[in-house]
This record gives sequence, C-alpha cells and structure tokens, in this order.
Amino acid sequence: MRFPWQKSAAEMCPAMPAADAAHAIEVHGLRKTFGDFVAVNSVDFNVGHGEIFGFLGPNGSGKTTTIRMLCGVIAPTDGGARVMGYDVCSESERVRENIGYMSQKFSLFQDLTVDENLKFYAGVYGLSDEKFAERREYILTMADLHGRENEMTGDLSVGWKQRLALGCATIHEPKLIFLDEPTSGVDPMARRQFWELLHDLAASGVTLFVTTHYMDEATHCNRLAFIYRGDIIAEGTPNEVKGALMRDTILQVEVDDGEGALAALEGSPGIGEAYMQGSLVHVNIGERTAAEADLPGLLGELGFDVHSVEPVEPTLEDAFVHLVTRQKEASS
Amino acid sequence: MSWRRVRLLIWKEFLQLKRDRSMLPIIFIMPVLQLIMFGYVIGTDVRDIRTAVVDRDGSPESHLVVDGFVNSGYFKQVATPTTDAEMQKLLDGNKAQVAIIIPEGFSDSVHAKRATQVGIVVDGSDSKTASVASGYAGQVVASLSRQLYPTPMSSGAGGVDARVRVLFNPTLRSVNTMVPALLAFILMMSTQMTMSQAVVKERERGTLEQLFVTPIGRAEYLIGKLLPYVLIAAIQITLVFTVGTIWFKVPFNGSLLVMGSGLALFALTGLGIGLMVSLLSRTRYQAQQAMTFMMVPSMMLSGFVFPLESMPAVLYPLSYLIPLRYIVVIVRSNFMKGSGFAALWPQFAAMALFAAVVFGFGLSRFRKQLND
Repeated sequence: MRFPWQKSAAEMCPAMPAADAAHAIEVHGLRKTFGDFVAVNSVDFNVGHGEIFGFLGPNGSGKTTTIRMLCGVIAPTDGGARVMGYDVCSESERVRENIGYMSQKFSLFQDLTVDENLKFYAGVYGLSDEKFAERREYILTMADLHGRENEMTGDLSVGWKQRLALGCATIHEPKLIFLDEPTSGVDPMARRQFWELLHDLAASGVTLFVTTHYMDEATHCNRLAFIYRGDIIAEGTPNEVKGALMRDTILQVEVDDGEGALAALEGSPGIGEAYMQGSLVHVNIGERTAAEADLPGLLGELGFDVHSVEPVEPTLEDAFVHLVTRQKEASS
Repeated sequence: MSWRRVRLLIWKEFLQLKRDRSMLPIIFIMPVLQLIMFGYVIGTDVRDIRTAVVDRDGSPESHLVVDGFVNSGYFKQVATPTTDAEMQKLLDGNKAQVAIIIPEGFSDSVHAKRATQVGIVVDGSDSKTASVASGYAGQVVASLSRQLYPTPMSSGAGGVDARVRVLFNPTLRSVNTMVPALLAFILMMSTQMTMSQAVVKERERGTLEQLFVTPIGRAEYLIGKLLPYVLIAAIQITLVFTVGTIWFKVPFNGSLLVMGSGLALFALTGLGIGLMVSLLSRTRYQAQQAMTFMMVPSMMLSGFVFPLESMPAVLYPLSYLIPLRYIVVIVRSNFMKGSGFAALWPQFAAMALFAAVVFGFGLSRFRKQLND
C-alpha cells in the first residue's frame, strides 16, 4: 500500500549487486535501527542452496529482526539482501511467494480445522485444485494427521501443531524455508521427529534457515552464524566455530555444590569462563593444562568436595559462551 | 491486488466469527438491548436554545416579548427571518430549534386590551430539548402576559396566549429521537469494537505475522478484514431500524440514500478509529479499555443522550471533535424531518473530513507499523 506522496520501493531501496545464482541468500551490509537502537549492525553472510543454516543468538540479539528483513516483511534501514535471487526490499512480494516461514508460535488459525488451515494457505499461494489435493495428501501423511482433518487446530497436541505449521509453510513447495525457533516448547521426542522432517527436506534440495537456542540442535546444521547484539560474532561450520576455542582447555568438574563452586570460580584468577552444564560445571582455563590450573586443589581449599575433574571436547555451547564473554569484554 | 486472496480472508474471518461464542451475542443481542435501554432516557436542563424570531409587529411591545424570552436564559436569539419559508429553512438546517412568531397587530391588541397570541414553533426531532423548550416558552409567555395586562381579566377574555406547535414529532416520544441516534451509536460501537478486537486478536496469536510473510498484500489484508465487519454493521443497523420502526412504531420520514450515505461516512470513521486503536494496543484487553475510554465522551458530548444545550459552555467546543455529534444530527433530522443534503451539508462535510483524516491516519499508521 502506498500513498502518492510516498516514495516507491525502487526509490527507497539501496541498489544491490547482481544476483549470484550460487547462493539462496546473500546478505550485504544489512542494517536495521529503531531510533537510536541498532537491532542489526550491518551484517554480511551467504547461505548456499540446500544448506541447513543455523542462526544462533540470545533473545533480543537481532535474530528475528534479521529474519523479518530477509522475508521482506520489514524494510532494511541500510544495505540489503537477495533471497532466491530477489531483492528483499524492492521485490519483497516475489520473495514472499518463494519462501516458506514458520515461527515459534505455530501461527496457524487455532479456531479453524486442520483442513481449513490447509485450504487457506493453499489459496493464499494460488495452488490449483489438483495440486492442492496432492499436497494435502502429502502433508497429512507427513504430519501424521490422517483422520484428524476436521479437528480444531487449537485442540491438537504441540507436536502435531508444529508439523501442521511446517506443512502449511511448505504447501507451495518453496525452495527456501525460514524457521524461527521452530522447536521451542516441544518435547524431546517431537523435536527429534521434527528434525528428521527437516533433514528429509534438506535432502530434497530445500535450503533451511533455522534459528534456535538449543545448542544440541545447532549440530544438525551445515553452517552456523552467531549473532550477538546485532553483530555476527562467529560464522562457519560447527567445527570451525568450535575452533575458536582450539587452544583453550575446557574442564568438566563434578562437585557437590555446583552453584557454590561456580560462584567461587568466577572470581578466581586464570579462569576464563565458568558455567553450569546440567549438574556439572564447565570451566575454561585458557591455554594452561589441567595440572597447572589444579582445580581440585583450588576448590578443596575453599571447602568444596570435588568428585572428578576431566578435560572435555569443547561443545558449541562452550564456544558460544566463550564468544559472548570475549565480545562483552571487548565492548566494556 | 488479488480478489481470490481477499475472498479467502473473508471466508476465514466468517469461519472464525461463527466459532467465537462471545462475538455472536454481542453482534445480534447488544443492538436490541440498547434499543430498549436508550429508548427511555430522561432529559435534563436545557439552556441557550437556538431561537429564531419572526417579529411581524416591530413595536415596543413585541420587543418586550423578545427580551422576555432572551432574558429568561433559556432562549438565545440566533436569527430574525422575515418570511415563513426562511424560518422553515432554519429549522430544517438545525440552525434554530425554536421559532417565536409575533403576529402583526400584536401591540394594537395589547393597547386595546384584547386577547392576542404569540406563535411558538418547536423542532421536535430532539424530543428532550423540544419538550423542555415548549415548557419554558409557556412560562415565559405567562409572565409576559402578567406584565402586559396588569389588571387581571376574566378568564378566556384576554391576555397573551402561547400557541405551541411541535413540528415533526408531535407526540414528543423520546423513542422517536433515540432510535435514529441509536443507529449511529450502534454503528460506532460495532465498527470500532469489532475492528480493534479483530486485528489485535490476530496479532496476539501471531497469525498476523504469519500472514505478512505470505504473498498477501497489506491492502488485501485490510479489505479482507474490513468487509466482514462492514457487512455485520449493516445487518445490525437493519435490525435496529426494523425493530425501531415496526416494534417501537417510530415514523420514518427520511430518505434511505441520505441516511445511508451519512452512516457509510461514519462507518469509515469508526473503522479508522478501530484500526488505530488496534495498532496502538498490545492486547485485546488494552484495546477494550481504550474503546471504553473513548465511548464516554462520545456519549456525553455528542448530543446523543444529553442535549448539547445542557452542556457547560467550557465543554461545548469539545463537542465539535466528536464525530458522533454530526451523524446524530444527520440521522435524526433525516429520520424525522426528511432533511436532505441541502440542509445537512455542513454535517456531511464534517463527517467526510473526519472519515478522511481518521481513516487515512489509520492506514498510514498500519503501513508504518508493519515496516518497523
């Protein structure tokens, strides 16, 4: 919608480099500010066709704003992006026709039946009757919803809702799907089933752009980008990202009073980061060896009963905590 | 713009509405309930009634009569037409609510101590003002009569006799004035309420976010959202109109075209306000509170329940900012007097301005909000 005195899309959108067919998503200096607040600070990255690209970051770090810009819902303040070859600013309608989008809230119409939701989205994407019949059959099978076509969507269990939402978002068989925290609030079994569906989609050549804060899920991704306070602070394959910690040693400590030990360690010299990992404490001791750091001695002196201390392979979560801490130190 | 997508949105909206247990009673029972409730509201004190004076005598005695009316505080002289046609026009255009006619030879009759008459014409389309005005007029004339005829006369032989004639609504039934105004009021409630609730509900549930990553355009979404509620408002108004004219036997002297175009303009204003509230509210509860907050001044300052004349002078200018004020005049005048565009054009102009500003502002807010 545009009023005569307002600028057209072409006038408002910055010029973009020509499309590069190798990438499903190309992001060039993408920036979004709300007043003085910089939500996304001129980020650059590419996503190849058929990749599962993980977009990670804490809440409020700019993940959703980035996705909204890439989907052509909001206009960038500066810079731009091409999604499936279309400029997200000047060709946002083309972009929206060619992508699927599923958000954490499973934004289906709760007061419509399963069939009505499918019919609605099929109509929105302009599917022919034959195509709709074919896709409906496929989605009902995929989501295991046969026999529940006339149930109210709001009455379905979370796992079903989630798969139906994926079905509605992919009813037009897009080659690129954005998934904004698709598994939050879903039980582990349903999460596993869901990731199987995503792997099937990726195997058929579909590009997936996934945000999540479950670090175990990030290992499903081919490539990752960490966004923190609007900046991308790491990017690469899961192994490359973990490589940021290559020279550091992570010790896993089993101690009676984990919380107390954590508080004691955080202030100690030579300790990079310490944080809870389940009931265990993970401690980054930098480039020292376990013997040099002598955690049993240190904690023993403070009166903690240490059961075991052993070096562990850094996980993505270790890498994430390390990167965020480093970033906080750099900016303070 | 794809009509296929608009049709889908409308289909979806009606399905949801059908299943919303709380909406259906509101849509169909609320208007009738209000019709019953507001049909019997009691009038209050009225001051500064707009009065036209037709002085055909032009004598010191006739001036005394005019002064008597003006000094009472109830009547304010706004015009001095010389012909009946001019006076009629003032009443039709709502510029005057009462006309005082002093016949030729009034002073001669007084000097000759003959009985004489003062004509008082009251616009009955606002029944409370009308009944109060005719009552005051009777009192004023009675006291003038004592002044002009100091010596009491035998009954029926002389004095000034007030002949009050109430135009358009001879029986002064309050329901006759409430039903037309209710058409406007219910239209306002339903467009503002439903529109604000509908958009906020969609945002609360996250479906709005989902819809805008599909090829559905903003204009398509808005039309798909507006049309069902316009249709519902039309059904409600027809319901109130039918119940009002058949059950409450309110006579309809106007034209559906004039009333319909006024209500259509007003609906646009209501939808625009609803849209704005829905964009400024985060939850349905907030939207509802905002609506209630706006409803009170609309009821108080529009002349819908209380006559504008009974309002304190300080608040009076505020009434010009209330869109309901104009539409109430349009529907009442058209319903009862059959006043057309010629008489009601200032109200129509005000309504059009409101519709353009409010709806335009709602649209641009809608566009801007989604861009951020």
